Amino acid sequence: MKILCFVQDDDGAINPVSKEVIALSQEIKNKLNGELDILTFNQDLSSELNQYEANNVLVCNNQELVNYNPLFYTSAVEHILDSKNYDLIIVGHTYQARDWVPRLSARKDIPFISDCIDYLIEDNSLEWIRSLYRAKINSQLKSREKQTIISIQSGCFKADNIISGQSEIKNIDLDLSNVNKTIMPGEKFKESGSQIDLTSSDVIISIGRGIGKEENIPMAKELAELTSGLLASSRPVVDSGWLDHSLQIGSSGQVVSPKLYLALGISGAIQHTVGMKGSNSIIAINKDPNAPIFELSDYGVIGDILEIIPKLNEAIKDV
Amino acid sequence: MTQNQREELPIDVLFVGGGAASLAGALHLNRQAKENNLDLEIAIIEKANEIGSHSLSGAVVDPRSLIELFPDLDINSFPFEAPVHTEKMYFLHKSGFKLGFPYIPKGMSHHGCYVASLGKLTRWLGEKCEEEGIDIFCPFSGDEILYDDNNCVIGVSTGDRGIDKNGNHKPNYEQGYDIKAKVTVFGEGTRGSLSKQLISKFDLMKDKNPQVWAVGVKELWKVPEGTIEPGYVAHTLGHPLGNKIFGGGFIYGMQNNILDIGLVTGLDYNNPTIDPHHELQLLKTHPWVKNLLKDGELLSYGAKSLPEGGYFSMPKLFTNGALLIGDSAGFLNGMRLKGIHLAMKSGMLAAETIIDAFKENNFQEKTLSNYDKKFKESWAHKELYKARNFHQGFKNGALFGMVNAGLALYTGGRGFGFIDKMNGHEGHLEMQKKSHKTINRYKDLIFDGKITFDKATDVYHSATKHDEDQVPHLKIIDPSICFDKCKEEYGNPCQYFCPASVYEVVEENDNERLQINFSNCVHCKTCDIMDPYQTINWIPPESGDGPSWKNM
Repeated sequence: MKILCFVQDDDGAINPVSKEVIALSQEIKNKLNGELDILTFNQDLSSELNQYEANNVLVCNNQELVNYNPLFYTSAVEHILDSKNYDLIIVGHTYQARDWVPRLSARKDIPFISDCIDYLIEDNSLEWIRSLYRAKINSQLKSREKQTIISIQSGCFKADNIISGQSEIKNIDLDLSNVNKTIMPGEKFKESGSQIDLTSSDVIISIGRGIGKEENIPMAKELAELTSGLLASSRPVVDSGWLDHSLQIGSSGQVVSPKLYLALGISGAIQHTVGMKGSNSIIAINKDPNAPIFELSDYGVIGDILEIIPKLNEAIKDV
Repeated sequence: MTQNQREELPIDVLFVGGGAASLAGALHLNRQAKENNLDLEIAIIEKANEIGSHSLSGAVVDPRSLIELFPDLDINSFPFEAPVHTEKMYFLHKSGFKLGFPYIPKGMSHHGCYVASLGKLTRWLGEKCEEEGIDIFCPFSGDEILYDDNNCVIGVSTGDRGIDKNGNHKPNYEQGYDIKAKVTVFGEGTRGSLSKQLISKFDLMKDKNPQVWAVGVKELWKVPEGTIEPGYVAHTLGHPLGNKIFGGGFIYGMQNNILDIGLVTGLDYNNPTIDPHHELQLLKTHPWVKNLLKDGELLSYGAKSLPEGGYFSMPKLFTNGALLIGDSAGFLNGMRLKGIHLAMKSGMLAAETIIDAFKENNFQEKTLSNYDKKFKESWAHKELYKARNFHQGFKNGALFGMVNAGLALYTGGRGFGFIDKMNGHEGHLEMQKKSHKTINRYKDLIFDGKITFDKATDVYHSATKHDEDQVPHLKIIDPSICFDKCKEEYGNPCQYFCPASVYEVVEENDNERLQINFSNCVHCKTCDIMDPYQTINWIPPESGDGPSWKNM
């Protein structure tokens, strides 16, 4: 099993989903006794990638690949695939991947199983799991071809599981002069608002309708600071204009999986829980003992958050 | 002012809305044009991301129009689930009692019809259109009707994209187009937002009964093998709506152990606290229904209003430069619970009219009025005319309604056997002001998360999505009514009749305000129809937003 894992460059940093891709690729490599090459288009990332367990880090330094362009990306990976027979190509299911990977799949006639959330190994062969109907049922897919492209959903594999090790850096010179420049990148436009990256935090303090009024938000903010976490919320708080939409967790906001998720005064509507159910540890505090959030939480406290948060803050300060 | 700067796209015939009516109409038109050596440029615009993802129906389909449209195709190649093989009609009582009707009258029978998903059918028709070279533009919503100086319709402008909630341009701002056509065909579906303008501007409902709508709320379930056979069709009366509210339930068996369950609630009820979503949940608490679903899983949810008024509630079907087809024109047979075949036929009749108009190179009422003549000569007219007094008969309850329908079967559609035309009433005017007698029908309804679901959970399963940073597509024309008048008089019924929790009364600092969660909207149009003051105006959101239904 020869695996090629593509690492997306986000303005000089490794894309967070790409780290999950590396962890997953290593896991499969070790289970199936395979080989793993990590591919990047940014040389600056190679020194970091070099510290992970893999066979090679392939670095393409072409000027054409500095800024994202689906045509050059597709051609570059096409060249790489021509040079070595990879069985499995794994990428993160990012906006960029959604754009260029289907082109690669079509051009090389390699099946593409997108947005996978898990995998199984049966009789030494891989089966991929995708969710359907908004995660209500899962489907299991198996590729009949020798080569397969996989993209994985963010938050489904743990970047923490990356195995350190060593690999060889191989610089690759590609001739991309034949690429027809029918698409040229325009100016990048910035997504409004989202300065805070909730996905990077280990602790998230999330507040819901139970916070009552805007004046109560500082105490939750204080709790977030004391726990070195970030403050987030469910929808009603954002609707009331008390927090920015970029801090909303759920189906119309961000999807997070921190180590600790504190759900304060959040009832646990499915629209919210799809954004946080992957968290390692969930603690819920709610007045309503029938709130659905308790079904999901590891620890639950039935009580008024407006009484509990200040006490919690005091207790943490005492420690 | 901006009109001059917008990019123009001149074509010959524009269909607004990519549903069954437009798709069938465009296909028929394209073929007829070829036969007549006319080189016509035909386009369809659709507000959904792809054809089918805003289509929702029961559905049991009469294949008649499809057979006319595809005479060479075998019926087995149509995208149906299964032929109807078992047909049941039950009267339910909440105690668990269930009475099967021993005999289903011929006019209501589904013999020879097929269980189908409208989403699947429209997707299939969309593919046929594209194979035959018809342009389908998704997602493009019709934003405004374009008129020339003589008030003749000359096309539609599509909505701009990338405007934030304050009306400012976002980085992805993209201007809409002016699509100019010699004939514009409005097939926007139920309560079309442009059709509504057209009907009002030219008074197309003059001398007609007002249109009356119902809202169908539907869930798709995966059930264990052996629970239901594909082609099983059951309709229910009684629980939960009772005798006073028009409507009833349906349970259909689809392929792969998928079960459709839905409830149609007439939007001419009296009690302002009626909640069509909750009524469907109540239906599922009936022991027989509960048993069907007990080891199943909810897959999808949706809602759509439907024009129930019948023949006398159909608008004048044409005006200078424009035609109305499908649900937008009320092509629905309430007695047979069917509209898809009529919608398709209306599109095809419109197509034939357009051919005549191009031959004469005249797109005014003079030639477009042929549409009405063609309709009157067609089987569609015959069918609708027979059911012309069906809905009116329910004015005094389901029992009278059934008696009326039964008598009409023997007298070619006369009301109660003798009245040629029964008058209708506007549905929202039937709503009574709240009083101490307003009963809470849902006090015992528990959402267990297994069989019954709260609205928010159901809405999640509609997979609806709207960019939050846009001007809300639900406009309250006079917001002062909500708390100055409506709260007192009706108790803000919008929070109940909306099947997607769009309207929410939120308490804030001892005040109440109406919060519009427009991103929940499933595009059913109930609010536009049922608001007692008619102060809610539904317009299409940014193109592509809305539900993402697979096989509804």
